Amino acid sequence: MTPAHNTPTVQPGELLDDTALFSLEDLARICHVAPGWVSERLEAGLLQADSLGGHWRFASATVVRARRLAQLETTFDADPQLAALTADLIEEVAHLRQRLQHLEATTGRGARPG
Amino acid sequence: MEFKDYYQVLGVGKTATADDIKKAYRKLARKYHPDVSKEADAMARMAEINEANAVLSDPEKREAYDALGRQAPHRPGQDFRPPPNWDAGFEFSDGAGAAGGPDGEFSDFFEQLFGRHARAQRAHRATGQHRQAPPDAEWGGAPPPSRGSDHHAKIELNLLDAYQGAERSLTLRGARLDDAGRMVHEERSLQVKIPKGVREGQLIRLTGQGSPGTGGAPAGDLFLEVQFKPDPRWRAIDRDVYQPVAVAPWEAELGAVIEVQTPAGALEVTVPAHWKSARKLRLKGRGIPAATPGDLYLELTVALPPAHSDAERAAYTAMARAFPRFNPRATPGA
Repeated sequence: MTPAHNTPTVQPGELLDDTALFSLEDLARICHVAPGWVSERLEAGLLQADSLGGHWRFASATVVRARRLAQLETTFDADPQLAALTADLIEEVAHLRQRLQHLEATTGRGARPG
Repeated sequence: MEFKDYYQVLGVGKTATADDIKKAYRKLARKYHPDVSKEADAMARMAEINEANAVLSDPEKREAYDALGRQAPHRPGQDFRPPPNWDAGFEFSDGAGAAGGPDGEFSDFFEQLFGRHARAQRAHRATGQHRQAPPDAEWGGAPPPSRGSDHHAKIELNLLDAYQGAERSLTLRGARLDDAGRMVHEERSLQVKIPKGVREGQLIRLTGQGSPGTGGAPAGDLFLEVQFKPDPRWRAIDRDVYQPVAVAPWEAELGAVIEVQTPAGALEVTVPAHWKSARKLRLKGRGIPAATPGDLYLELTVALPPAHSDAERAAYTAMARAFPRFNPRATPGA
């Protein structure tokens, strides 16, 4: 099939801020996991949620983390705690890289070789 | 459609054991994992590796794939069409999407052989044996309703976009159903309105821009994860923004009103007298806009004017004479 290029259409993006919360089922669907997978990680403290009206509600930042956990567990048959530790380290490395880039940019110094 | 040699993708032979495949997959997954890989094509390679693993790690799919290779031998990249009923006699378990990766984004090759639509067609063929399918229903007629899968992508924005909102053009590799009801991939452009107030790591949802649904079910959504481009002028942490600002020695010590170009526009800021190192000035509510906006922190540094002329050198000499007891190294680490 030859790839086709359609005329661009303007699509309004919906910002999923702290008030746009996902249900447990939404999160499971977005991450391609079973709802039980989410419940287990929640009980183990690997995912954060708020309880509203007796239902769990997840912020959009949790979606990114949950997808990362699911990917790590699936790819490496990883223990959930180990996957969570890896996700923590990935987040920390990303944060430190951002700080380093900023410092290099403001001081005009590049990273040391090696 | 391009033929995919999944064995070549994973770098294993056709006689590889399940353990060999698992080891090869994990080794490549470590190398190309998008969170750690510095390879430019890491995302694409990871998708390819996931797809190969989804087939070769599943005994049923692997057997069917091997049989297809024997029925219609092809080289990788060669144009390919599966023979009719190539999968007769095989029964695949569901979950191709879950096995292949959370995004459920696969090549045409995979979709035609193992994707949702292929499964629907197989299911319908099986049912048709019992209830007289119409003659034109080669692909199974209307597949059972199934919501399209969600897609995920990253989008890089400037911090200014968070203050002002923006419109961005995206090129996406999406899927749609053709006239025969088959899933086909295509590139499409999308103009996206980015609302102001967006933060790093936040998601933007584009409703209905994921994979199409089947049987009248809605399409999935596209989720864009926001990243800010590195900018030497400022950085954001959550809704708070940090901006380095240089001041002259006399502004730092005597205090001054200075004009600063910030992401919130040009602002007049009062620098208090009496310099303190690592001084930050907080401008409340001038961070990323929101119902509760973030704050803007100006990180003050002192810039020394270079002394080129005699008069400039004399000014430094006079300063040294004016502060005979000043020792900049009196504080350890200073």
